[in-house]
Amino acid sequence: MHNGILYLAGQSLKELMLPIIGSELIVNLIMTLICIGILFMLVAVSALVFTLGERKVCAWIQVRIGPNRVGPWGLLQSTADMLKLLTKEDIIPHGVDRWMWVLSPILIFIPAAMVYALYPFDDGVIFADVNIGLFLLIAISSQSVLPFLMGGYASNSKYAMLGGMRTVAQMLSYEVPMVIALMGIVMITGSLKMSAIVEAQSNIWFIFLQPIAFLIFMVTCLVESNRPPFNMVEGESEIIAGPFTEYTGMRWALFFLAEFANLLSIGILTATLFLGGWQGPDFLPGQLWFWIKAFLMVLIYQWIGWTFPRTRMDTILSFGWKVLLPLALVNLLLTGFGIYIFKWLL
Amino acid sequence: MATTEKFVLNMGPQHPSTHGVLQVQVELDGENIVGAKPVMGYLHRGIEKLMESRTYQQCVPFTDRLDYVSSMNNNLGFCMAVEKLAGIEVPERAQYIRTICCELNRIASHHVFIGSLTNDLGSATGMIYAFRDREKILDLFNIICGARMTCHYIRIGGVIADAQDEFLQKTEEFINYVPEMLDEYDRLFTGNEIFQKRMQGTSIISKEDALRFGMSGPNIRASGWDYDIRKIDKYGIYGKLDFDIPVGKTGDNWDRYIIRLQEIVESAKIIRQCLDNMPEGPFMAKVPKMLKPPKGDAYHRVENTRGELGFYIVSDGTNKPYRVHIRRPSFINLQALDHMCKGMVLADAVTAFATIDPLMGEVDC
Amino acid sequence: MGSYLEIKYLEELQQQYASVEFDSEQPEPHIYVGTEDLLALMKELQENPIWAFDRMANITSVDYKEYIEMVYMLYSRRFDKWVTVKCKLDREKPVVESMTQVWPGTEFEEREIFDLMGVEFLHHPDLRRILMPEDYTAYPLRKDFVPLQPKIEGGVLKWLQPKSLS
Repeated sequence: MHNGILYLAGQSLKELMLPIIGSELIVNLIMTLICIGILFMLVAVSALVFTLGERKVCAWIQVRIGPNRVGPWGLLQSTADMLKLLTKEDIIPHGVDRWMWVLSPILIFIPAAMVYALYPFDDGVIFADVNIGLFLLIAISSQSVLPFLMGGYASNSKYAMLGGMRTVAQMLSYEVPMVIALMGIVMITGSLKMSAIVEAQSNIWFIFLQPIAFLIFMVTCLVESNRPPFNMVEGESEIIAGPFTEYTGMRWALFFLAEFANLLSIGILTATLFLGGWQGPDFLPGQLWFWIKAFLMVLIYQWIGWTFPRTRMDTILSFGWKVLLPLALVNLLLTGFGIYIFKWLL
Repeated sequence: MATTEKFVLNMGPQHPSTHGVLQVQVELDGENIVGAKPVMGYLHRGIEKLMESRTYQQCVPFTDRLDYVSSMNNNLGFCMAVEKLAGIEVPERAQYIRTICCELNRIASHHVFIGSLTNDLGSATGMIYAFRDREKILDLFNIICGARMTCHYIRIGGVIADAQDEFLQKTEEFINYVPEMLDEYDRLFTGNEIFQKRMQGTSIISKEDALRFGMSGPNIRASGWDYDIRKIDKYGIYGKLDFDIPVGKTGDNWDRYIIRLQEIVESAKIIRQCLDNMPEGPFMAKVPKMLKPPKGDAYHRVENTRGELGFYIVSDGTNKPYRVHIRRPSFINLQALDHMCKGMVLADAVTAFATIDPLMGEVDC
Repeated sequence: MGSYLEIKYLEELQQQYASVEFDSEQPEPHIYVGTEDLLALMKELQENPIWAFDRMANITSVDYKEYIEMVYMLYSRRFDKWVTVKCKLDREKPVVESMTQVWPGTEFEEREIFDLMGVEFLHHPDLRRILMPEDYTAYPLRKDFVPLQPKIEGGVLKWLQPKSLS
């Protein structure tokens, strides 16, 4: 039934192991562990790739050359950065709420990595194809608010506290239009299952059926993942680095690992929900289409980020509540009418 | 009934957007600013005192270090004050070269303004574009005097070296590039919705307040006064040149930004006139090596890129100034900071720092 | 460049304020005024529309070893006129009225003069040191200034008087 390359590879690996091990239960367990490993690898590698990628894209937009000293074309730059961060002294500032402070960078990584379990990478290649997929995804990703606040509160610094407060305000406000914008898709598909959403786009992508929702989703994605022009959290010209101000070395790197995991995440999510996921013309395998779309979206998000100045906190909030939310509601209404008319025509 | 508590946020001296070592104690109520107190002195080198123990010629390099992004203008201010004190006539060609250099320097300084403003507004791309164009001017300075930032090119009695043909030709090339450059800025940030939204109507300084705070330069012109020393005093050859003074209306951040863009156009106009009418002749007056101005005092002011830069020199008849006082425009402009920040949100404080354009080398002296 | 205030107007001022003195031989005579009349004179120059000296162009002080001299340079935008007002102060205890009462924009400059020259300004809104450390005791722009020695004692920075050179 499925014919994605990754799916077939997984099946053949399973068939190879089955005669050797014997028990199907153990084989399934091993496959699960392999999948988890691959997902974590993906998150870690994406962070490495994107640290360099972000700098290269940024340099390209800013008429610069970008890192080109470490390795050929600067390819080893992110490795060098990582090594440097690992060897840095681990400073725990005086007066921090120690447990919360230490836990925050670890906890922030969990939702960022966990959502990858719900992405359909290829036909049949999805770690957990649960029937409440989209709902679960939003539920998990909204958990990343808490570590920001923890880090901000525990740092015992005014800048961090302001940053933490800003995060909560902006993430909570933008959750609402995001969910309502996605409701349109769910209404058309009739399912919250991620694979069903992708399959529903086999004829026409949702970007054409739901253009308003697409735009709202793009904006909310930028806000939720703290990308510029909405990076109020670490608005570096005002509050230095927000909740990350007091972190050094590897703890700081974990925040950025999560940020780049989120960047890829929003790219994948937009590609999956609006651009037909792994679907595309047959001359390229579905897996490749998936990554092309995801990276294209990432590039667009970076492009937006490096072109626009940062918005102000109060404008963000009023824009979210006064513009995006009514727009999302209107979109919901239009979708409902559209579905009704479509059914009536049939 | 919910209550809020005020707290003091100490921005600087090590902060990404304080333009050097300015420290501002911002009193906040949540994100709203109640007051902002600038604290200075981290870059205080005692230039006024140091000048008392140097000869007049040795004092000139100190002025480079005041406002280090518009060093030519500072050189000019000090040299003209000494020339006034000692009664030295400057050859005409030297005055033309001085004017070209000062106006180029003004454009370069406004590039720094645009760059740091856009950077503070969170668009690092804008900074890179502005600094890319500033680099072209620094290269011109490199051709004419071998230095890029602290030029020490304008000396007492003229300039130290004649302007080469290469310099004049490349200056013309740059002037031709200016409209294209401004067009690019317009497309990149001036026309940007977020940029306009953050600048318009924030940190307003009314016409009366601008005068009350003793502001000068583009900051007072943005508030509606056509106060430009180049037009009022007509020092040097400015009386012969045809240029306009851009004047703002409301005195908000947006006006202060637009004024600078228009000043770049006006400076380009001035440079073009100077290039067209450049006379031949000597570039340095006969100035004794051991310059001993007569006893007395003199004050001379020039229009620096940040406002009215004045040098008050007291001579006791020896070869060293008895006392030098520098009226630094950004030091005085900084008094308006508290007024500008009140009632704004934290993000606007950063915009206010940027548009008031203080340069800590000059503020701390 | 703007012209200097004519002698006849200076004479007019002299009639109004007893302590006003100037040397009418010089082309651009400075007004010397006693501390008691300074504030009233300045208020008159700023507020009266026949003078309209609305800008305090430059305010500074010079240490002449016997006395400290305050120098006020006023500029009238309306008439394009200059005038220099000077005021001699006792070097041991220099006290003068603050000009912030007339031109609020002189606040920082007066703080700077207080910091570097040690002139005390009466009725100044916020008279603190501005450039030098707050616990500094000497006045750098005075002619007999010798830099203080910074020394850290028990984690606290202290400024000590330098050892006598003689």
